[in-house]
Amino acid sequence: MNLELFSDPQIVKKLAKAIQTEAAKLKKEIKIMHICGTHENSIIRFGLRDLLPANIRVIAGPGCPVCVTSSRDIDAVINLALKENVCITTFGDMLKVPGSKLSLHGAKSHGADIKMVYSIYDAIELSKNSNKPVVFFACGFETTAAGTAAAILDLKLPSNFFIYSVHKYTPDGVYALLKSGKIDMDGLILPGHASAISGLRTYERFAFEFHIPSVAAGFEAADILLAILLIVKQINSNQAKVENTYNRVINYEGNTKAQQIMDRVFSLGEAIWRGLGTIEHTGYILKDEFAYVDATKHFNFEYPNHYIEHKKGCRCRDVILGKAQPTDCPLYAKHCTPYNPVGPCMVSDEGTCKNFYDGGIGE
Amino acid sequence: MSDVITIDHGSGGKLTLELIENIFKAENGLDAAILDDLAFTTDSHSIKPLFFDGGDIGKLAVSGTVNDLLCVGAKPLYISSAFIIEAGFEIEKLQKIVNSMQEEARKANVKIVCGDTKVVEKGKCDGVYINTSGIGKIIKKIDGSNVEDGDAVIITGSIGDHGFSIMNKRENLNIDVNLKSDVTQLSDVILPLLNSDIDIKFMRDPTRGGLAMCLNELCYKRHFGFEIYEDKIPIKEEVRVISEILGIEPYFAANEGKMVIVVKKEDAPKTVEMLKKNPKSKDAAIIGEVKNSLQGKVVLITPFGSKRILKMPVSDKMPRIC
Repeated sequence: MNLELFSDPQIVKKLAKAIQTEAAKLKKEIKIMHICGTHENSIIRFGLRDLLPANIRVIAGPGCPVCVTSSRDIDAVINLALKENVCITTFGDMLKVPGSKLSLHGAKSHGADIKMVYSIYDAIELSKNSNKPVVFFACGFETTAAGTAAAILDLKLPSNFFIYSVHKYTPDGVYALLKSGKIDMDGLILPGHASAISGLRTYERFAFEFHIPSVAAGFEAADILLAILLIVKQINSNQAKVENTYNRVINYEGNTKAQQIMDRVFSLGEAIWRGLGTIEHTGYILKDEFAYVDATKHFNFEYPNHYIEHKKGCRCRDVILGKAQPTDCPLYAKHCTPYNPVGPCMVSDEGTCKNFYDGGIGE
Repeated sequence: MSDVITIDHGSGGKLTLELIENIFKAENGLDAAILDDLAFTTDSHSIKPLFFDGGDIGKLAVSGTVNDLLCVGAKPLYISSAFIIEAGFEIEKLQKIVNSMQEEARKANVKIVCGDTKVVEKGKCDGVYINTSGIGKIIKKIDGSNVEDGDAVIITGSIGDHGFSIMNKRENLNIDVNLKSDVTQLSDVILPLLNSDIDIKFMRDPTRGGLAMCLNELCYKRHFGFEIYEDKIPIKEEVRVISEILGIEPYFAANEGKMVIVVKKEDAPKTVEMLKKNPKSKDAAIIGEVKNSLQGKVVLITPFGSKRILKMPVSDKMPRIC
């Protein structure tokens, strides 16, 4: 497959023109939500909002994996590191996400042993050379959850290696939000990486129950514009179905092998989504069979009675729900910057506020 | 500003710049001090791994200092080298590093004339740290004071080679690409330009923080900004592949053998023509122009005609989670 076609300027310009033509038929301004931080990154990187007509707004939803990790969980692993002489390992982005008082990064200056890793495999290697317990703070959606499950099944894990899973299942999270009426949008761009695992089947209920045109997209400029074009076409013809512009990676059933691996290792239970509350059936919880690696079973986790998800003035919750743009937040680029993030959306390259900031928007 | 030094303060991004401005109160934003007809610079090198595809810390130390002198229009002449060595470090490796330094110095036609050695306890440093200082003779004073609207921005070759090659090795990413660091001294590339009638306005090597940091530093708090055409920036296919996998754009990856050169618009074609004659700069290209209206901003024009601002990196870029 010639992937260059997906970033061919002529094709991109033609798609932008086709969107303009189709958008002229719209009866109202529409909001199209994506639920993948990497999509926001691509949209900023390619300047795609520049190419869209005024009556189409592309907004970001709860698609950044570290942004939706609850302060409760961050506070809990910080407590663990400080009180039990445990080494906490996690992805780089996670280190700077603020908890109620400290980020993991900040906890280091209080003596916590926190290390950045690129994958669970790095954390396992690290535990082999460590004389104390090593806990992998496992965050992210289906994509990283599949990696965690595979490592558990494939490897003989060192006895001092443990996992604290805050992995989350995307489709049911978005489904719950749609059902609650908290999200307001007219079309949905389905995530590229996460859908490659979960498949498109699970998203059909979005179209049936909520009459929302839903199109899966990759991460090149043409991928995203084509998805927008198809959504606008569906809206103009009063249709709501699931379409796939990323069939080089995603299929209807998803990655069934990965699904089987995850089914063996995890059950789906409650998860706390930062700012969104507890959502059933969205937390990947280690099955009893794997209790030997489950940090929550081995350590005396102290969960805070009160935890602060978003600090005063921070509008990350509204940003995650697509109700506000980062530039609507009074703290954006003033008191809240990537150097000193107040809210979680300003931390990761997948966070909406960080993407806006990096793109120099609204300054 | 944070009340303690963090790793990000040393990443070469905006926090490094703030540290230099606010704590060290350094006023000269150039790569080397201009002292009458001399240029003087210093640089410390603490890298991991010490040996990588295309070079080692020794080659990096010499070429970095040589290139910093070239940036202000000087012919590099003399270098000092100070070593901080961790007890237990193998003599054979140290010899290899020293040989690299001598080899690179010979190629740059500079002399290593003095030095210092300190040994610290095991575990107190990552093998070897090297500080190099350098002196050069100004041929054509280049300090950015005469940059004008419409001046052309040139890069001497492909970007991101060093940063992604190091990342691949350091983090054991094991991505199977044929990519080497571009680390090299650029005397043979830049001296012919300095000795020509080309009106060079500004130069900087896009090291830590990559092209994004380099361009932003060049126009930081100045009356002009840059408009850069993304599709003109030379990027190797191997770099594109790693960039896509990691979710890190090549603009933020370090280069150790490239130079960004701002020249008078009319001189740009001749500059590129001269650069292309040297294998080290055969991929040289005009990538943009100076715009007074942009005042301190770097604007990228995408191949699709849209615009985005290319900001200074906050810290070292991380691979994406999913």
